[in-house]
Amino acid sequence: MSMSTTPLVGATASTRPGNSSPRVIWVLAITAVFLVLSPMIYLGVRVTEVTAEELSVILLQSRAGEFALNTLLLGVTVAATTLFAGVAIAVGIDRSRMRRRKVPLVIASLPLAIPSYLAAYGWLVINPQLNGYLPSYLLLSAVTVPYVVLPVAARLRGLGGSHEMVARTLGRTPVKAFGEAVWPQIRSSAFAGALLVFLYTISDFGLVAMMRFHTLTWGVNAAYSASFNRSQAAVLALLVVLLAVIAVVGERSLRGQHARGSANAPRPPRLSQAAATVTTVMFLLPIGGGVLLPFVGLGVRLGQAETLRAIDWPRLLEATGWTVLVAILSAITATAIALPIAAVASRVRTRASRLIESLGYLSHALPGIVVGLSLVFLSLRVVPALYQTLAVLVFGYTVLFASKALGTSRAALDGVPVTLSMVARTLGETPFGVWRRITLPLALPSIAVGALLVMVSTMKELPATLILRPTGVNTLATELWSRTVALEYGAAAPYAAILVVVAALPAMFLGAVRSDRGEAR
Amino acid sequence: MTTLTVSNLDVSYGPRPALRDVSVVVPSGSVVAVLGPSGCGKTTLLMALAGLVTVESGDITSGSRVLSSATEHVAPERRGIGWVPQDSSLFPHLSVRDNIGFALPRGQSQRARIEQLAELVGLADFLDRMPASLSGGQAQRVALARALAVKPEVVLLDEPFAALDTVLRHSLAREVVSLLRESDTTTVLVTHDREEALDLADIVVVMDRGRVAQVGSPREIYEAPLTAWVASFVGDTVELEGLWQDTALECRACGAKEFCEGEPDRYGCSGHVECALGNIAASAQGFEPGQGQAVRVVLRPEWIVPSPDGVPSTVKAVSYAGHDALVELSLQTSQAAVRARMAAPFLPAVGSPFGVAVRHPALVFPAPNADRWAESNVERVSQ
Repeated sequence: MSMSTTPLVGATASTRPGNSSPRVIWVLAITAVFLVLSPMIYLGVRVTEVTAEELSVILLQSRAGEFALNTLLLGVTVAATTLFAGVAIAVGIDRSRMRRRKVPLVIASLPLAIPSYLAAYGWLVINPQLNGYLPSYLLLSAVTVPYVVLPVAARLRGLGGSHEMVARTLGRTPVKAFGEAVWPQIRSSAFAGALLVFLYTISDFGLVAMMRFHTLTWGVNAAYSASFNRSQAAVLALLVVLLAVIAVVGERSLRGQHARGSANAPRPPRLSQAAATVTTVMFLLPIGGGVLLPFVGLGVRLGQAETLRAIDWPRLLEATGWTVLVAILSAITATAIALPIAAVASRVRTRASRLIESLGYLSHALPGIVVGLSLVFLSLRVVPALYQTLAVLVFGYTVLFASKALGTSRAALDGVPVTLSMVARTLGETPFGVWRRITLPLALPSIAVGALLVMVSTMKELPATLILRPTGVNTLATELWSRTVALEYGAAAPYAAILVVVAALPAMFLGAVRSDRGEAR
Repeated sequence: MTTLTVSNLDVSYGPRPALRDVSVVVPSGSVVAVLGPSGCGKTTLLMALAGLVTVESGDITSGSRVLSSATEHVAPERRGIGWVPQDSSLFPHLSVRDNIGFALPRGQSQRARIEQLAELVGLADFLDRMPASLSGGQAQRVALARALAVKPEVVLLDEPFAALDTVLRHSLAREVVSLLRESDTTTVLVTHDREEALDLADIVVVMDRGRVAQVGSPREIYEAPLTAWVASFVGDTVELEGLWQDTALECRACGAKEFCEGEPDRYGCSGHVECALGNIAASAQGFEPGQGQAVRVVLRPEWIVPSPDGVPSTVKAVSYAGHDALVELSLQTSQAAVRARMAAPFLPAVGSPFGVAVRHPALVFPAPNADRWAESNVERVSQ
């Protein structure tokens, strides 16, 4: 009998059955990725239409250089600050004397629930004089530090203390032991968090605009709304994307290897009293500055008699209605876009499926204002009838937040073991039947969580909404913004308050769902 | 009734070969155990039978119907082959009732059939429970009932008892297999537990690194393994060096009528081997050694018995296992070490003298070279 051991290249490759996704899923996934990327593709096309002459005028004679430098300065300083502070806070939480580390973690993540422009509004109510780089830098650092704290804390919890203890027995001081045994293992989580902070900062529009610090996003909006120089807006938008891409590539190269920690590793050593005090202060600063004080400002302003008397109830209700409506619509479309991509990514492990998935995540790095601007160009060029309609607005949200739905959908589908599908097949069920009777019912709760995440993000979104909303459509975010830039802080207060409530409701629901599931197990 | 035939089957995962040239016949109504170390391809063979992987070359037929080949692939849902995976894989969102009834069309008859199946596996009171509340053994029973619901002609069991504790594992395995035998269901059982395979199966298929190492009855596999690897994989072995003797005196094979009482075919004896235990009857496995050739002698510990007139040895150690014990002996003349299995109450003291004899023909394999496992095995399978 022949028993060739030649490599089987070119032979009919056998596959596991879970891999044989129906062709329909592939077609849907590729379409979804194309839709998500279409604004980016078009922005690239639009920029190539800018003549060399125009380009040199934009880059050299406009304030583009100043905007780019401001953006870079803000992005780098905020990312560096949060990297340092976030690691310190995470270590403080991990090594605190508290028994329940969950409580400080939840508190530390609070700034994430609040849109940056809301924090800015709260501070402006307290002190209308604030403006420029320093307040922008401090406030952005406060609201973005959870992006570093959360992944590093999770990583630290998984590590346990054994590496560090071994290093101590090998003659290292506590600080050296941390630097040599722990830091290399949390480094990648910390850098990944700092990358998110950088992307968030250079994409941010509301906070810097309210603080009148002129970054690229501010420039894009100004060029778009004030002048008719769309080319300038496009070039500035592309500069933001360029900064984002450089950051993503740079972070990849800084990432390290790390080993998995073991579940029953000993607890790490506690911090000294001095170090614990320092980390506690660092823990409290962003909570106080990013959440509590703005809320105090908002609450005081809202409670004033003249504010309450002046509330325009019909307008407030209308804005709330629009906010909830677009949020629900985009939750549905973003989930619909994400599902086929997640299905391909979860069930097929090939180079093609990995490519499709990472392209699906790409939109995550796109600033809202850039997506908004690209969609204006795209809708005007391809389907002018849709320009300034609800459809384009919802599509914008979908592009921006599909990655959130993709993450949870992917995890949901990964949570359904392939053997369940295989068993169902041997029991006489067709591939489609398996999806209907097994995969979807099991994945649905997590997919719904993803939809909820999209809803919350949509309700808080500002810059794309400003550019894409149809005339007459005002959301809570746009009402808050337009009143704040007009210095009508009192009139803005009710919108801010409702925004906090409607954005907090789904978040509370998410928390309830999660603790429910914890109990069931 | 159908006989499953696997011929020259090749299966790969991408560039990685999983099955190479596998041929097995599963007679209708029989219980076939596929035995092998982890990663030997036994689960892949099962998945190929179920239609859960596609094949590269070779084919799988059921009677005259081709199920899998390089060009054809009958979908798993059209094969009528039941599958009970390793972890039972109950659908977590469905009750026990809905799990068992998954493949049955809805209606009055579904209800009756579900209850009948639940009765059969002894879980009639658990129909409205959710899978999460079942024990491992109960979950496996439900998985079996679910697979049996549509009366498949073939049921594939993929280490269905591996996760259970020892006592439960053996009783449940026996119970399940007798249940399948009663319903005349052809059964393929994948396992890495040699006792389970020898105990339950009519035919044992031993696999190693994607190839079939030997197919035979449990007795053949244990007492006449084709390679030294199979010999040591399916049971304990004692190994010695020896010299082959082609003696043929009164008896055609060994001349001594040691065990066979004149019927050499009974053990397939083909000669003698001269080793530390003396000149003993032996059968050369899968090769024909020449007179005086150095060979590898393999015995089972239970073939070595106490005998006051036997080869003198000293007891070195006794490893006690409750029901029996392995007695380690050092032969006095050669200093070679052998182990004998003895019933527990009658154990010798360490250091005491002990005479031993052999009561079964020794197995003889080619003398090991550099890599003894790989050598003997590859040589055998590739011939």
